[in-house]
Amino acid sequence: MIYSLLKKDFQMLISGKFFLVALGSLVLYTLFIHFGYIHYMHAELYHVYLYDPQGTQGETSDLACPVASQEELDAALSGDTNGVGIDASSGVPEIFFYFGSEKTDNHRADYALSLLQWQKDYKAQVVGSNTPELKQRKEMCCELLFIEIIAVGFLGIASVLFKEKQMGVIRVHAVLPCPKSLFIVSKILLFLLSDLVFAALMVVLNIGFPDAVVILPAVLTQTAILSLIMSLTGFGCTMMLKDFRQFSLAYLVIAIFVAAPVFLSANTSVKMAWINWHPFYHVYMGLKNACFGTPAANPVYYICSVCGIAALFLIVRAAFHREMKKEG
Amino acid sequence: MIEVKNLTFSYGKDKQALHGLNFTVGDGEIFGFLGPNGSGKSTTQKILTGILKGHGGYVSVFGQDISTVHTKDFFGKIGVLFEFPYLYANLSVIDNLKYFASFYPANQCRDIGEILEKLEFKTDYLKKPVSSYSKGMRQRVSMARALVSSPRLLFLDEPTSGLDPSGAVLFRNIIEEERKKGTTVFLTTHNMLDADLLCDRVAFISDGTIVALDTPNRLKEQNSNHCIKIVYQYQGRREEKTIEASELQAGISFPHDEIISIHSEEPTLEDMFIQYTGRGLL
Repeated sequence: MIYSLLKKDFQMLISGKFFLVALGSLVLYTLFIHFGYIHYMHAELYHVYLYDPQGTQGETSDLACPVASQEELDAALSGDTNGVGIDASSGVPEIFFYFGSEKTDNHRADYALSLLQWQKDYKAQVVGSNTPELKQRKEMCCELLFIEIIAVGFLGIASVLFKEKQMGVIRVHAVLPCPKSLFIVSKILLFLLSDLVFAALMVVLNIGFPDAVVILPAVLTQTAILSLIMSLTGFGCTMMLKDFRQFSLAYLVIAIFVAAPVFLSANTSVKMAWINWHPFYHVYMGLKNACFGTPAANPVYYICSVCGIAALFLIVRAAFHREMKKEG
Repeated sequence: MIEVKNLTFSYGKDKQALHGLNFTVGDGEIFGFLGPNGSGKSTTQKILTGILKGHGGYVSVFGQDISTVHTKDFFGKIGVLFEFPYLYANLSVIDNLKYFASFYPANQCRDIGEILEKLEFKTDYLKKPVSSYSKGMRQRVSMARALVSSPRLLFLDEPTSGLDPSGAVLFRNIIEEERKKGTTVFLTTHNMLDADLLCDRVAFISDGTIVALDTPNRLKEQNSNHCIKIVYQYQGRREEKTIEASELQAGISFPHDEIISIHSEEPTLEDMFIQYTGRGLL
């Protein structure tokens, strides 16, 4: 029974050219990472602003820009949010970032301190084993994977389901001798498998096999969580909304209110106090941490994910039953 | 096979769709359920097919209360032809039927090729997607889907819709054949010819109430004026006369040269439909 459903859904996905779109995305993302992002998106050096009125730090690198006052240091960091400030007025250098990004990152702090001791053999603290290129690859791979599952998976399930809705075949399933939930499970399972294969290929092709093998189990776990959430959300929206036009609006809302704040909070200095209440922020960070080899270990995260998926499934099931009862 | 006692159903506080229906359908009977749009036909059928829950009154199908019936067994014994041909447009007829048949035990399913042959399905379309089929061909596939699991109870909603006259005759023959095998048929239709030719009994439903229930012949007899119209030729002129049926026993008493035709003035099922439901057929 489940085999028949899976086979039919697979045929629907083939006829809807879903796999072709996913393959196209994979090729495009891979080409972008290999030939675009890595080659042309070198991060500029961070500007380092030094406030040292007593000249306590001796001879510093020319790359450190001296400032005359604490106010000037604050103004410089406000205008250059990626910059690093050093207040050495007390004789001991203190690191300052733009107020919105005080928790980022050791890399920049290390770089700034190295400029104070540039003629000595400064040993930077080594965090992790990622080369700058590998870090860039992992970052971009994670972001594109997140976008792919949020967008293509979500829209993919809608395109298949709207076809079935228009053909009216969902109503036929109301009188078939099978558990109705299997209809949902089969679709979710197929999209999950497709997303897992996509994630595995994305990681292997863009991070490299040796590094990919290490992080793959954690990445696939996070992909599975995100895939289940998105495909169930897509399924539910399709059942509740009238047509693909309404669905596109729903997607716009998701893109604006779900993806945008998560990306802004996770990747820029924009600070949102409420972001910790945003479920997708945790899923995104889970994926990102998995890509960097530090998978989420907090059981609360996994418990919440499982509960969320279960709640979504129940909502989807109710919407599906309502759709089956509708008039022709 | 079906027993309905004081069936009520409401879609909301002020949307009472059924107001206490009572009827039974016997084993192997073809039961016509006739009524205008919005009269409660679909709601009744949805309750009988186990799709709609939350009805009032008592409904039993296969001798079991529909509210407590084990759905997998129940759905395995019924076949439903919907008003519209709901099919996977991207799949062929074979793939569609194989897919829907896969939900039933293999030993219960009929041979797909045999059913399609019986339905006079064009063989050169067997592997083409349903999206390329005409309305009549889609209706044939839908009928095949309803029959593929050898159901004991068949729900047919407008079975001859979209078919040409020869297709309609073919479908009526197939429905008759099913009845001969012992299948019970619950037929919902606007087509009074289908109802008249096929049904053992018909029920007229109007505004959620059954307003008449009997055999088509008895309903027509009950509402007949028992008159006969005779068209005849007399002294070179064509004339017609309506007489009481009983008058005919004594022969044709009025002067005539030639009888051209004799018509019973018995009402048609369509006349009954209009009379009982207060609405004409579109």
